[in-house]
Amino acid sequence: MIVLEMLILVILALAIGVFFLGLSRKIMSRIHWRYGPPITQPIIDIIKLFNQDSVSHGSLFNFGIILSLAGSIVMVFFLPMGAMCPMSSSGGMLVILYIMLLGPLGLALSGGEAANPNISIGISRKFILALSYEVPLLLIFLAVMTHYGTISIVEIVKIQSANLWSFASLPLLLSGIAYLLILPALLGERPFELIKAPQEISSGPMAEYGGKFLALATLQHAFHTFVGISLFVNLFLGGASNPGYFFLKMLVVFILLIFVNAVFPRFRIDQAIKYLWKWPTLLAFIGLIIVVIVD
Amino acid sequence: MDRNQLTKWIKSPGNMGHKYSLDVVYFCTGCGIIEIPPSITARWDAERFGVKPVATPRQANLFLITGYVSVKTLKAVIRTYEQMQEPKFAVGFGSCPINGGMYWDSYNTVNHLDKYIPIDGWIAGCMPRPEAIFIAVTHLWTLIDKEIADGYKRYRDKYKYYRANQEKVLGELEWPPLFPEDDKK
Repeated sequence: MIVLEMLILVILALAIGVFFLGLSRKIMSRIHWRYGPPITQPIIDIIKLFNQDSVSHGSLFNFGIILSLAGSIVMVFFLPMGAMCPMSSSGGMLVILYIMLLGPLGLALSGGEAANPNISIGISRKFILALSYEVPLLLIFLAVMTHYGTISIVEIVKIQSANLWSFASLPLLLSGIAYLLILPALLGERPFELIKAPQEISSGPMAEYGGKFLALATLQHAFHTFVGISLFVNLFLGGASNPGYFFLKMLVVFILLIFVNAVFPRFRIDQAIKYLWKWPTLLAFIGLIIVVIVD
Repeated sequence: MDRNQLTKWIKSPGNMGHKYSLDVVYFCTGCGIIEIPPSITARWDAERFGVKPVATPRQANLFLITGYVSVKTLKAVIRTYEQMQEPKFAVGFGSCPINGGMYWDSYNTVNHLDKYIPIDGWIAGCMPRPEAIFIAVTHLWTLIDKEIADGYKRYRDKYKYYRANQEKVLGELEWPPLFPEDDKK
């Protein structure tokens, strides 16, 4: 039964993630006053990439990208979507904090084998960025855990459905805003697109990926997008009782993210650290203090 | 455009994928590159055909050589072409790669690009309008459909010929052959 639930959850997450990739390209082109590709374009891309040859740079190159994809898929199991949460009894937020680093780590392992200078720059940027958004993320998690007195996300969703959403209740409002501010950095979207930066470092960690490797990296990105937004919906927007309602909530957050992605230019890495360690960290810290005082 | 015909997708997903997802690496050799920005931005939106610029040759499957090819850039053109993953398509843009164009008697440009790498199609003109790129893309779709866009196969089969031509112009090449001799029967 649990296996079946896991399978459904992975397929749903994949469908939603790939749909979001297509939607983002469509909305971006409408904002640019273009017609844009069909919404199925990422699916076409993935089919093409799986039918293309690919060159490998060694066994670690193959292993790293699989580790990265696996890390993203495993996180899906720990996030309740509607009533579905196969791993509800174990872990919770602490596990997510640990597994969240597997994605960048896998890409770094894989890129190290290829020995391309663009990849090295991209990887170092990715880790610096991870270092800067993990600090506010930890503070946000601490605030949520302190307020609800539990690390289980299923419990948190249950409490929220009985009372108010935590985004609407005062003690956690600042933490929610801080999470929204670091969400583009978490997903590598435009103000923090400096990891990929095709114009500067020719798409950074992806520079040596072609064919099947690029397809796996695209899938990883789709899963990662799903996880980042689903975490916000679960912790702050009260989760949902059924997957359809959950998807609607995710859609709202994602479209907000796309609008930010479409209008903002790219930060430099030093500006990104300065921003992330100033505003979101400050908000999250004040939020934590408020939570400690109120409770 | 038969992008939405499901039967064709089921019959040959690979071919349809290569048709409708062309990731292009633009080689900015000459004046031709000035026609690319209007074709990928709001005026003539190339992305509605699935044509998208990418940053590295590893991710690309269409190679657009825009403008004249000097001897020095020929080296980079060959290396870029060899780094792309099969199946790959190459298109020459403008009259200079076809036969030298207005630089036909220059001491430093290559007159016939298809002696050095296999070209699947040409866009003639000096300069071609951005619309010509879309006509070329639709022609390339037909070629891929009939499976005669086989430049990469020709490169593999006649590699000796291409390599000899490359060495005639560039002298001793710094990189090892892409398809070593002992692979052949």
